[in-house]
Amino acid sequence: MKEIKLFLGPQHPGMHGNASVHMYIDADIIKKAYMLPGMLHRGFEKGMERHSWVNNIGLIPRVCVVEPDINEFVFAQAAEMMAGIEVPERGQYIRMIILEMARIIAHIMAYGGVGGPTGNYTVMYHAQEDRNRMLYIFEKITGHRVYHMYIVPGGVRKDLPVGIEDDLNEFMDDFEKRYDDYRALVLENPSVLKRITKTIPLPAEVVWELGVTGIGMRSAVNKPYDLRKVKPYLKYDKVEFDVPMMDYSDAKARLECKLIEISQSIRIIRQCLAQMKPGPVRVPLDHGQAMRWRVPKGQVYSSCESARGEFGYFVVSNGGTNPYRVGVRGASYPQGLLGIEKYLPGTRLDDASLWVDTMGVCAPEIDR
Amino acid sequence: MMNSMNNVEEIIAAVEANFDLLSSDVIDKYQVGLDVNKNEIHRLLIFLKTNGWIQLSYLTAVDWIEENEFELVYIVFNWDKAVHIQIRTRIERDVEKASIETIMPIYPGCKYYEREVHEFFGIKFPGNPDYHKQLILEQFDDLPPLRKDFDPLAYAERKFPKRDYPDKFTNLEGKESEQAKRDVTHERVSKLRTGGTKK
Repeated sequence: MKEIKLFLGPQHPGMHGNASVHMYIDADIIKKAYMLPGMLHRGFEKGMERHSWVNNIGLIPRVCVVEPDINEFVFAQAAEMMAGIEVPERGQYIRMIILEMARIIAHIMAYGGVGGPTGNYTVMYHAQEDRNRMLYIFEKITGHRVYHMYIVPGGVRKDLPVGIEDDLNEFMDDFEKRYDDYRALVLENPSVLKRITKTIPLPAEVVWELGVTGIGMRSAVNKPYDLRKVKPYLKYDKVEFDVPMMDYSDAKARLECKLIEISQSIRIIRQCLAQMKPGPVRVPLDHGQAMRWRVPKGQVYSSCESARGEFGYFVVSNGGTNPYRVGVRGASYPQGLLGIEKYLPGTRLDDASLWVDTMGVCAPEIDR
Repeated sequence: MMNSMNNVEEIIAAVEANFDLLSSDVIDKYQVGLDVNKNEIHRLLIFLKTNGWIQLSYLTAVDWIEENEFELVYIVFNWDKAVHIQIRTRIERDVEKASIETIMPIYPGCKYYEREVHEFFGIKFPGNPDYHKQLILEQFDDLPPLRKDFDPLAYAERKFPKRDYPDKFTNLEGKESEQAKRDVTHERVSKLRTGGTKK
């Protein structure tokens, strides 16, 4: 048989972001595949060495476009770990609300994004509308829609605006009312089910070989391996939530986990709003001279659970006003590069974009 | 999953009993840093992997230009004990000699991290079949960019055509721009920043 080379992306409805998957196919079976990143390389790691600690807050949300807040959080957490700063309690709760909101929109995007490869575009319009409404809430809180620059070393930039609980509750009530609609559109839709059931499975033993984390791992190994549970940061040990798990990871299981995680995030936000007490949200850095703030010498790896898995920054400080080195561990590195190279061969051509969508491959954080 | 300071102390004691540690530091109850010699790395990683640190979270390098050394950092994680371990080792910073055996037989997931470290620092990883291939930087023909002696401005001036910008601008109302004034302010502000070095 003759082999043909095909490109999935960068312009393709099934591809998220500016990356491309090169595939050699025989009929519609993939024989060889590899990812070609680099179309979105902006040199963040070098750029961070050239900016001061507080300046960097404006730069780093761009590392991941769909879920920018995790970048601010892990960077701020790393600086606080080295400087020994304790964030006020209200600041921690506000951070949790922001992170869970970000998780909701990232999952909604991925859940709606499955409309592209399966041809069921209705769910995509629902998802985009819901994301848009969440972005309006973000705009009220932070002043920005996509990149918020809200979580800073020492806490959050300012307190929540008055009456934001009503907006959040309105969104959450409405989403919970339409939760069954979301299920019916994808997980109970016979035409979509045929495409997502038992396609591109991820066996449990492969998880450790690749280093996959997040929903991809939890849906395969059936253990609650979520950093929010395993090493609780912020106040995640004070709230109750469940971690969805499955014992067979195919596209359907992973989508189902995403939908359950959205409902759990809503549960966390409700508890945060109830537990929060008035108080300060930020400790001033270096007596208010934040631009000249120096962080003591040290090397820390700070991590958090993002929508796609373990997201971390390795930060080195030599005691100066700038970081000495910042390394970004993108959560989609294992499944995006090694996963595509090793586990796409043998599957069908039209399942490739399902892998990209359900495993959560974010091209900007691979390139940086 | 239950974590306390015990897990951290336990692993440091276990490693100290079997290996020559140069130093170790406890960052918090979820993280430890271990400094070892270059030739102990593989043995230590095998020891940790058999003891439950089955996930390689990250692999990267740091360029310590003043000491003329590269520092390689391997970060592994144990999901049941909830401890991140940074394993750090120093290798020489020479362009030709900077190399370390791959850890692909231990953690296959390191393949692309090693490729990336080679691309950005120029460290060689013999044993990894693809480490020398270009991954992110297309048609890059200078020093590996994350080395401290790489100068982005010089690279940009060499690579891209220079554009002449007029000195004097006028705004819509016909007034002259105050750019010169802003330059003075900017210079004064930038003097206050030490740019990463402590004065």
